[in-house]
Formats: sequence, C-alpha cells, structure tokens
Amino acid sequence: MNTRWWFLLPARVWTALFLLAPLGIVGAYSVLTRGDYGGVEAPWTMESYTRLIDPLYLAILWRSVWMATLSTVLCALLGFPLALFIARAGRRKNLWLQLVLLPFWTSFLVRTYAWLFILRDTGLVNTVLQRLHVIRTPLPLLYNDGAVLLGLVYSFLPFFVLPVYAALERLDGSLAEAAADLGARPLSTLRRVILPLSAPGIAAGCVLVFIPCLGSYLTPDLLGGGKTVMVGNLIQNQFTTARDWPFGSATSLVLMLVSALALLMMMRSPATKEML
Amino acid sequence: MKRRAFLAGGATALLGCGRDKRPRLNVYNWSSYIDPAMVERFEREQGVRVRYGTYEGNEEMLAKVVTGNSGWDVVFPTHSRLAPMARHNLLAPLDARRLPSLGNLDARFRRPVWDADLRWGVPYMWNATGIVYNRQQTAVPTGWDALWSAGLKGRMTMLDDPEDVIGVCLQKLGFPFDSVEERQLQAAKREAVRQKQLLRAYINAEVRDQLVAGDVLAAQLWSTTAAQAMRAAPQLAFAYPREGYPLYCDCAAVLRESKRYELAHEFLDFLLRPEVAAANARVADTATANGAARRLLPADAVLYPPDEIYARGVWPPALPSAAQRYRDRLWTEIKAA
Repeated sequence: MNTRWWFLLPARVWTALFLLAPLGIVGAYSVLTRGDYGGVEAPWTMESYTRLIDPLYLAILWRSVWMATLSTVLCALLGFPLALFIARAGRRKNLWLQLVLLPFWTSFLVRTYAWLFILRDTGLVNTVLQRLHVIRTPLPLLYNDGAVLLGLVYSFLPFFVLPVYAALERLDGSLAEAAADLGARPLSTLRRVILPLSAPGIAAGCVLVFIPCLGSYLTPDLLGGGKTVMVGNLIQNQFTTARDWPFGSATSLVLMLVSALALLMMMRSPATKEML
Repeated sequence: MKRRAFLAGGATALLGCGRDKRPRLNVYNWSSYIDPAMVERFEREQGVRVRYGTYEGNEEMLAKVVTGNSGWDVVFPTHSRLAPMARHNLLAPLDARRLPSLGNLDARFRRPVWDADLRWGVPYMWNATGIVYNRQQTAVPTGWDALWSAGLKGRMTMLDDPEDVIGVCLQKLGFPFDSVEERQLQAAKREAVRQKQLLRAYINAEVRDQLVAGDVLAAQLWSTTAAQAMRAAPQLAFAYPREGYPLYCDCAAVLRESKRYELAHEFLDFLLRPEVAAANARVADTATANGAARRLLPADAVLYPPDEIYARGVWPPALPSAAQRYRDRLWTEIKAA
C-alpha cells in the first residue's frame, strides 16, 4: 500500500460510516412497509414512491423549491453588496466579518424564537410603530409566508456572504482600476468586470443557501405558525405523528435528488467550471 | 486553580461510576415531569442509583424502546399507547401485590376505560384539551364552534396536532372524536380547511405567551398549559366544550426488557405516595391522578373539572393503522390548503 492510500483511509472510513451507511439505511427503509408503532416491517414495496406521485405531495415539493429559490434570490440581492462592501472595507474588514458571523454564536432555535418576539402583535416592530402613531392596529407580520422568507433569508445570509466575500477579496483591485482608466463607469465595471470574476463565489453562495432552505422545517414551523408545509415539515411529520418511516425515507431521498440536481445544474454552469 | 478542581471533580465522577455497585434503575420520562428531589429521595431510601432520561413525545420514546433493548426500565406512555405497546410485547404486566399504594389513586383512575385492571400502567398525570379564552375581549365559549368565530379572525389558534384538530372538527359536527369513517373524516377536513382561514396559527405550548400578552384571544389548548397561562394573566379563562373533549393520561409502565422488575415496582409505588405525587404535580404543574395527593394541593377547577364536566370527556384510543394513515393524509391536505 502506498502512502496516499493510507492518508485517504480516514476520509474513506468516514464517508462509508457516516454517509453511505446511513444513506443505505434510508434507502432500505424507503422500500419497506410501515410498522404500526414506528419502524419498518416486511415486505419490500415501492408503495412509498408511488404515493409521492400525487398532486398533494408534488405541490408541497414545488412550494419548497419556490420558497428556497425566493430566499436564494433575496440572499443574493442583500448579500452581494454586503460582501462587496466588506471586501473593500480595508482595516475594518475583520470587524465586519465578525459581525456577519456573530449570530452563529447563538443557537439557531433561539434566534428563530427571537423573531417571534420582534414580529408578533405586541412585539417590537408593532409596538414601536404604534407608539409613533404610524399604524393604529398591529400589522400581521408573523405566521405568513413573508415571515418564513424573512426567517430563511436571515438564517442563511452569512452562507452567501462568506463565499462571495472570499471571491471578491481575491479579486485583483487593479482590474477595476484598469476598467475605470479605460472609461468604464462604476456600474459597468461592476457588471462587466467584478460580477463575472466573482461568479464562482456567487454560485457557491447560491448552492449553500438554496439547499438548506429547501430542507428547512424549523423556520416554516415557528414563523409560519404551522399553516404552511414545506417538504421538511412533511418529512418530520412522517417520523413523528404519522409514524410512517418508509414514506418519510422516500420523501427524504427525493428531496436529496432534487438538491443534487440543483447542485449539478450549478456545477454545469460555465461560471463555476473554472472554480472547480 | 479552577481548572484543576474541575479535572479532579471529573476524575472522581469517572472513578465513582466505575466503583458504584448500587443497583441502577433506568427511568425514561417526559421532560419536567418529576421533582428531582423525589428521585434523590428514592435513591437514598432504596440505596440505588437512578439514571433519569427525558423525552418530548410518545414517538420519541417509542422509537427507542421498540427495539426491546433500549436499556430503560420505566417509561411513561400516554394511555392510548399502553395497549399497542402491550400487544407489541414491550410492556411487563404489573403486579398489583407489589403496588400497595394503588389505593391512593383518584376514583376516576382506579378502573380506567383503557386498562380496567391497571395491568399495564399506573395513571400518573393527566390533562384535557379545551378552549382558553380572553374573558375581557370574547364571549364565553360553550362549544368548539367558538373557534370558528369570524369576529376573532387572526386571533385564534389551534394545536399543531392532527389528532386534536381533526378530532375536534369531528366533535363539532357531532361525530365521535376517534371516528374512522371516511365520510365523517372528509366532513371534518372541510371544517378544518374552513377554519384555517380564520386561524392565526397551529401552535402548541408557545401560545401561552401570546395569550398572556393579548395577541391571541382564544386557543385550543391543554388544560395544564392553560392553567399556567391563567396564573400569569387573570383575564384568561378555560372552557370545556359542550360537545365533549379529549382527555389524556400518562401512565408509569415497566418495560418487558427490564431486568429490575421488582425495583421498578418499588419506584412505581413510591410515585404513588401522596406527598411524592403532590411534589411531582407541583413541579410539573399538571393534574395528578393521585387522589390522596390532590388533597395536599390547592383546589383548581381547570385542572380538576367537576364530575358533570368530566363526564363529557373522552379518552381517545389508539387508531388502527389504516385510519391513522388516512388521517395523516387529511392533515397534510389541511396544512397544504
């Protein structure tokens, strides 16, 4: 055995134990029959998959893709200027980066709960607006799709900012100067020089936001008030109240397939090819 | 200095684990459902150790114990799970001779409908699902239809629980809470979808804060959580709907896999002592099934409804597999509507 083989061994064992084996279990569960009190039983069946081809579940899947796409677009619109600003912040760079990362010091659950206190009828926003006599009755800020989107964008924005920042940071500043010297206005420098060169970072950011958004269940549950289902909630339900592990497993695998397809599409795009 | 003390403490704890030869009882219970001081007292009295673990839902507990070698001895399933668990050979039948304090149980729980001979579980804590409402801003609700009031649009919530939501829709229509008939269930689903437009959210215990703050004016909620909210906000009150309402009771049960059958019974009997049951009810802030303990606790008409109201309650049984699956589909349809 050569050294290379030995050095790769831990990674291979890790992948086999913690990626392939669990995936195999999920795959096997998805083609078994539901046990009455959770778990799975014989015989083998494809029923869980045929059940998924149902307008009800397809609509939920579609809804999740749509929400994840919207969140990704919003993260890009907010995250790109922010990343550009930080990349050009000079000595303050690290401070701004720390601020972007600051929310990670607190648990995701606590941060999502905090939004409840900001958005609810007697919460921060409504109280301030009412005190300032901007509104008379509280705005319905909580328990709707807007709140879910806000929660998703808030949670995943750093995942967009960091790779884009990394791409912009590496970018040679003299290129932008050269564009300016050659008569490009700032906006066309951005469009024709900076954006194309940071495309790999943007693509990576999109993937990092889109995929966790697609599978999220806590945010739609807490901020959506359980009135909307995303595919993550559907899966969670199968393993809890519905006690239908095969159907939950099948749905999880389909979700993974959709994520993998999205990833493949991103990787196929010419912009990301050079990054890889 | 601090670090050294910490290390020393850790080392003693590790060594202690190895050396401790006392028998160990493994108790798996709902979170915040016991007074920790009572666990310590049991350890002292019996000269044993208790490994105490907590869970948040029946499914979580079932997923662990269904294997038959979970390592737990005593669990606290809800009443409807006792029969299925027993059928699955997960529970050890109780020996009444080893439980001399069974007589302390409230008369309502000595021969419960779900387990008349108390063969599988000792009733521990219980509660009901009803309507909590704001007295100052809403009319007193008499039936479930109060949660369909157009005037309270956006200020009402239902529990995020398919059994409770679908069951209540059935009761509102005059059907049984545990119906398995498709036509009735379809009608219930239509009621739920109609109601959804008026609802603020489907949420569970989190609604407490919003009731206290006044964001929510009426909610389907468990009597125990409602009682806690009412203590924080006197403008809140609780109603047991006229059509009937579901009751739930968590019971202490011994797993068949347990190798400490006798010690487990000692623990169950210990929990039945009036002062122990009262201490646990105080900490858990719920209704105890122990009549002797209740006399040590303050009277509470929400937690302990009088007989004429109690008579309207139903104890939902476990649903057959097919019905369970049908309901889950309806629940997904309601949520996706």
